[in-house]
Amino acid sequence: MFLNLLFLMSAFLTVGSAVLVLTTKNIMHSCVFLLGSLIGVAGLYATLDADFVAATQIMVYVGGVVILMLFAVMLTGGKDFISKAQNLLGLIPTMGNKWSYSIGILVSLVFVFTNIQLLSRLGTMSTLKNNGSFGSSIREIGHLFVKDHILAFELSSVLLLGALVGAAIIARPHRHQGHDHD
Amino acid sequence: MISLASYLVISMILFAIGITVMIARKNIVAILLGIELILNAAALNFVAYSKFVTQNLDGHVFSLFIIVIAAAEAAVGLAIVIRFFQLKETIHIDEATQLRN
Repeated sequence: MFLNLLFLMSAFLTVGSAVLVLTTKNIMHSCVFLLGSLIGVAGLYATLDADFVAATQIMVYVGGVVILMLFAVMLTGGKDFISKAQNLLGLIPTMGNKWSYSIGILVSLVFVFTNIQLLSRLGTMSTLKNNGSFGSSIREIGHLFVKDHILAFELSSVLLLGALVGAAIIARPHRHQGHDHD
Repeated sequence: MISLASYLVISMILFAIGITVMIARKNIVAILLGIELILNAAALNFVAYSKFVTQNLDGHVFSLFIIVIAAAEAAVGLAIVIRFFQLKETIHIDEATQLRN
């Protein structure tokens, strides 16, 4: 019963916040709605007995990525951020126009129909019955990290170092201000 | 009541919304938000299959790797956005034409 309630709440939070990310005019509000969607996904992980993944999702996404996004929005506001000019659909310039929305919705409809076609065969696929929870999964995940997936684990640490250094190099202040770029 | 199909449907909706955000919006930060939604849909599929089909924890490990990749991607992407804003004073995607010709 509690599991069903948590699942329904998380599903509505995830999907509703994602729809609001799509339709909100203000990019700052979009970032905050993305936060709601990510918390909903963490709740869905919790209903799947993935306690460590849910905790990591909240720590990394809500504590890191969304805060980074909010700082990027605040640092790159510019004149588009305060623009009040709207077209016929009530969209501001940085939201795209009706053609971009039409193409985007068409592409996602094609994806949805393809996925429905694949999911319609799911009834005949043999899915095992749910035989209780794993209990706490942290010990097993740690063993998997250092036994079966040790190469990917080390490579991800190298990737994080590279991303950190690369981001610092890309975003450093511009040295040749007078140089013409075109 | 809660089956594999319900998680797959939620993941599908999340992916579809993410790809719509990525294509429709013209703000570079909003495009990065769409990419985050898509990566979350993929990770949710991994964990759902690991619970209902394979019954081991490999899917959890893969979703943790996806979270790591997403964090690295967001850091580099936002650094590029800030650099682009320093050059162009805007973050409209149609202004990113320096590689044309």
